[in-house]
Amino acid sequence: MAKITLNDISLNDYGLTDRVQQLRKNYFRAMPELCIERPRLITQHSLEHGLFEKDRISILDKAKLYRYVLENRTPIVRHTKGYEKGMKLFEFKEPTLFAGSTTSKFKGVPIYPEFLGLTIWPELWTISERSSNPFHITDKEIEELNYDIFPHWMDKNILELARAWCANGGKCLPLMKLHERMVFFLASKPECISHTIPDFSKAIRIGLRGIINEAKEKKSKTTEPSKQEFYEAICEALEGIITYSKRLASAAESLADQESDSQLRQDLLEIASVYRNVPEFPAATFREGLTTIWVVWTSVHLENPNVGLSLGRLDQVLYDLYRKDIDKGIISLKDAIELVCCLWLKIGDHVPTMPETGEQLFGGTGSNQAITFGGVDMDGSDAVNDLTYVMLRATELLKLRDPNPNARYYQGINSKDYLRRLCEINIKTGAIPAIHNDKAVISALTSKGETAEQARDYGVIGCVEPGSSGRFYGHTGAILLNLTSALELTLFNGRHRHTGMDLLISMETGDPTSFKTFDEFKSAFETQTQWLVDQAVELNNVFGKIHQRYYSTPILSAFFEGPMEKGKDLIEGGAVINASGAAIIGLGDVSDSLSAIQKVVYEDKFVTFGQLMDAIQNNFKGYEKLRTRILDPSRTPKYGNEDPISETNTEWIIKMLDKAFDEKENYRDGKYRAGYWSMTMHAGFGRLTMALPSGRAARENFTSGITPVSAEAPELTKALNSVANLPSKYLSSGVALNLKYTPSSQDKQEMLDDFAASVEGYFDDAGGTRNGGMEIQFNVIDRQALLDIMNNPASNSELLVRVSGYTAYFKDLNPQMQKEIIDRTEYLLSTGTMIPYELLPIPERRR
Amino acid sequence: MLKIIRQKVFDVMPSLLSEKVGLIISRLFGKKLAREIDDQVTDKFLELLLNALDLSFTLSSDFRRNIQNFKGRYLFTTSDKSAETYAVFNNGSMMVYDKQMNGWNVKVTFKDTPALKQFIFSRNQDILDSLLTNTVEVDGNLNYLYKFGFMSRDLMRRLGIQY
Repeated sequence: MAKITLNDISLNDYGLTDRVQQLRKNYFRAMPELCIERPRLITQHSLEHGLFEKDRISILDKAKLYRYVLENRTPIVRHTKGYEKGMKLFEFKEPTLFAGSTTSKFKGVPIYPEFLGLTIWPELWTISERSSNPFHITDKEIEELNYDIFPHWMDKNILELARAWCANGGKCLPLMKLHERMVFFLASKPECISHTIPDFSKAIRIGLRGIINEAKEKKSKTTEPSKQEFYEAICEALEGIITYSKRLASAAESLADQESDSQLRQDLLEIASVYRNVPEFPAATFREGLTTIWVVWTSVHLENPNVGLSLGRLDQVLYDLYRKDIDKGIISLKDAIELVCCLWLKIGDHVPTMPETGEQLFGGTGSNQAITFGGVDMDGSDAVNDLTYVMLRATELLKLRDPNPNARYYQGINSKDYLRRLCEINIKTGAIPAIHNDKAVISALTSKGETAEQARDYGVIGCVEPGSSGRFYGHTGAILLNLTSALELTLFNGRHRHTGMDLLISMETGDPTSFKTFDEFKSAFETQTQWLVDQAVELNNVFGKIHQRYYSTPILSAFFEGPMEKGKDLIEGGAVINASGAAIIGLGDVSDSLSAIQKVVYEDKFVTFGQLMDAIQNNFKGYEKLRTRILDPSRTPKYGNEDPISETNTEWIIKMLDKAFDEKENYRDGKYRAGYWSMTMHAGFGRLTMALPSGRAARENFTSGITPVSAEAPELTKALNSVANLPSKYLSSGVALNLKYTPSSQDKQEMLDDFAASVEGYFDDAGGTRNGGMEIQFNVIDRQALLDIMNNPASNSELLVRVSGYTAYFKDLNPQMQKEIIDRTEYLLSTGTMIPYELLPIPERRR
Repeated sequence: MLKIIRQKVFDVMPSLLSEKVGLIISRLFGKKLAREIDDQVTDKFLELLLNALDLSFTLSSDFRRNIQNFKGRYLFTTSDKSAETYAVFNNGSMMVYDKQMNGWNVKVTFKDTPALKQFIFSRNQDILDSLLTNTVEVDGNLNYLYKFGFMSRDLMRRLGIQY
């Protein structure tokens, strides 16, 4: 357990240094630029070495490919230009302390043609002018992509390789078709696996040369060809990273020779000196530790798409180096905060490739590079240390989308001052960090077979998903399941209104108007849900097998517990813990629908099932009285009000889904886990869905994550308890509870007290009768302020919001998602009640 | 025989005409298409688009680079299957057929021509609208569709047609 030595854990005496202010200003000024360097290099190498012709690409082939890219990519020490709004060129100096970059651009958009990079092909000529999140690209780059790069990948990306496999004996084309109907589930392996946390500690402790030596030794001791090849691949990949870092050192030395400013020259020489040592050799200082992480991080992104790769517990990994440097006077607190700020800004140097259709579904997302602070260590002791507060201060000062900050809190072990500090930062930034309940999360992970030590060392992945750091290969976002589609298939006897009543999608479970009891309806719903889970899992496993044939990951495997010991790549099951994850979308809407059916049709017999069906078919037109009754929490049970009917139904759903997924095996001999976070899919899927028995109107957003439906849970305590009462063992892939608090204009201290009390109450295990809520995240802003920014984005272009897991700049979100955040229930902490409001109309789509 | 003659024309036209002259001719013949894009779209939209592509591939060696070393079969069909059109690309040549053929890389089924136009020339999220409203359905390799989307928009850019 580390002792806190800081006099003021808020570190209020420390602000942004001039260097960081300059970097931050450019960061916000620059528009993203598409970078074609990676696709150019991998295409060249693949052509020269016949990789496009192979029906299986070995891990050694992959490692040689990445080595080639690392040895040939541009070693950028400092960027000098970017493009601002209106795509106007601007020049600047980048006095960062870290060389290297994810792409060759200042704020780059890396393209992964092996995945969904080709989706931007049709809009290349207009992508720099589109209304939502434009990307800069030059005419020359467009032509190179069009003529020299994309054509080679038309049959070779994961999605199309899977389609070809399905067509040639795999017999899974109907699954592909179901997937492409977009309304049932999305399987994300065609886009990436990524979602995981590498183990940086080994690279810091023994350096990449140490890992290479270990691989060589293991290779010499095995006679199995597959293992020999694996270890050789590790050596190839890591030699590439070392070469890249040396090239950066040389480039820094060259720049230093040309630099007239003595401070900048000194900075460059220091960069060169650091990069000569790390990551090849063990890190000796805090700065070298940060540099090791940064170089490894850029290399991991070279191999794996920038979607949900997460940093883990850097306050733990780097603490010893930090402590040593501070104690020896090598760095000051100011230096430490500046170094962390520089790294945070570097981490945000890229955004995901996003076609305009994706903007509609995932608009405004960053790369979801989650970082985790605090909590307990592997022995269960308080892990919050001085570096935790240094990193929190940097996070508070910068207010960035990436890295996506998450803090762990163990009630009774972590201090209350620490929790208050987390709440204070939420109030000041309005959105970060998300707070996770260690007790509930650890309990959820151990229920899935992880040891207590492994579970205690969890980090947050992507949005909110917990996974043991450096051991858990879980692709937590493998499936995004629209639960309301299972409800729809039940209501319409195996059909969906979106795909039409003529098309039988699943199987007929009976006309619901003929069901005599609510249990009959639930049974049909369970059958349809199980069918949907079966389809999603089967397709995910198909995609997994395609990854195994074509997409080994030697770089990521080198920085993980398990692959080196087993001599096996992560994609083959090399990790210590293997799993796949499904995010369930629409829990609140489905729970409220079940409760409405139970109460209004079967118990009170207020209407017949037929009348209810007619009402939802007509979007409640002519059924206004029925809708008013259904929407009234005092007359119809609503999730978020501690109503026994609703609580029973909600728990039944999550238990049923946990069982459905837990029974499934993935392609790596791991299990599936279910979680309740939705990114922006609750808005996207909502647009595809007509009115529901819950009273939700057609095309409205679904509720986000595990949150009660907007405006249906008027009392904060009841809303929190309803979620906290759900057993965490059924929620093992994480939850996102989104709350909106009104900022206090009066007594800030009182607001902080109430804020912390609300978190304590939500996390409380009620004397061991429950686990307590797993996660909570906030937007601390009032409705009018959001409406003002919606109407005038320039008025606050840096405003951060929590979506449903990830963090975004509010101005970047599409109008439907902005509406969802504005429509979220807003609680006044001083009274613990909702501020009444009307839902915004569904926005017109941009033309 | 017809194919061979066409291919010969393909081969010699760019060398007979400069890019600029080719472009002027393409723009002249593209006027009808421009009206379709600009104004009320008619049942002739797909035919005009494919013809405009065909002509531009013939007259412009630069534009023709898009289909060099490219083989692809596209089937465009209406939901009621009343019309089926194949666009076949084969190493630098483009052919359009209205008869039944075997096989395709991608099939685009559209409710009507306005839906198809919206789908191909969508900007600002209308592709999603097409899918959401089930006015267009796609089967097969999506990358072929992306390539077609690029070529169509590239053509519009060259012909100076706003979409």
